[in-house]
Amino acid sequence: MEGKKLMSHPSPFNHQPDTELGEALQALLTADGEDRFVRTVVAAADRVYGEAAPAQTLTVLIQWARPGLVAAMLLIALGAFSLGIWVGRTGAVAEATLGDPLVPNTDQPSVPALMAGDEAPDWDVVLAAAWGR
Amino acid sequence: MNHMQDAELAALAQAGDRESFGELVARYAAPARRLARAILGDPDDADDAAQDAFLSALKHLGRFDPERPFGPWLMRIVANAAGDRRRRRRVREADPLTPGLAIREAGPDVETDRQRFREALQEALAALPERQRVAVVLFDVEGYSHREVGEVLNIPEGTARSDVFHARRALREALADWKEWRERS
Repeated sequence: MEGKKLMSHPSPFNHQPDTELGEALQALLTADGEDRFVRTVVAAADRVYGEAAPAQTLTVLIQWARPGLVAAMLLIALGAFSLGIWVGRTGAVAEATLGDPLVPNTDQPSVPALMAGDEAPDWDVVLAAAWGR
Repeated sequence: MNHMQDAELAALAQAGDRESFGELVARYAAPARRLARAILGDPDDADDAAQDAFLSALKHLGRFDPERPFGPWLMRIVANAAGDRRRRRRVREADPLTPGLAIREAGPDVETDRQRFREALQEALAALPERQRVAVVLFDVEGYSHREVGEVLNIPEGTARSDVFHARRALREALADWKEWRERS
């Protein structure tokens, strides 16, 4: 019998767990419906996870933001630098190739200009001007 | 999942793994409910307190030290949750574990005798100070060490040892009275 069994081991001085008293207390305190309890708690935990989710997302975004911003700034700086070089190069080429065709070269007078004079031009000069074009 | 350590499950649960949290709940549901019932008496209140404790533990898993055992950490939360609920409830209704329920008349059979024994044990347990009640349940039912009992109750190990000793003695004396009464009947 449960009571008689418990009474057979009366020492409270034992430093080891009192298995008889422990079993009696366990039988007294253990309730039914453990599976239902677990399901209820897990279902309630979904709300906790749901509340935590936005905060976690925000935290992740904040954590990502710092290196992301730095990386974005570096990319922008690199892009601007590259663009500057490209613009510089293309500008120089354009300047070289897109010179005004209506402006005469001051070092070499044009053939029509030589022929427009009152005196007959020196043929060597005319040939040199024509050859230079 | 069954082979995983509590600390691993706790880490996964903290990271958002519901299944790991469910496994922790399954592992500790029984001791948590028993401890809450030892404090509160009423099974429904005890389940509510145990549930509160599990959810509180989930919210504060970041404060759990994985180098230490999970059980005492959780049991401390359970004891606090149940204690808070008992204090709030104190003015609301009588404690079902209030002494005076047991030992009325002898039963005609073994089952009745067993029931009377349970009532006597319940009465004796309810008569203990809450700290002794928690100490003896954690030590003799759940198998925690005196040091762990001290951690749960936030008291020195020696005090926990003393609480277990006094609780056992009180329970033995009460049950000896019950036995004496039963033999006279």
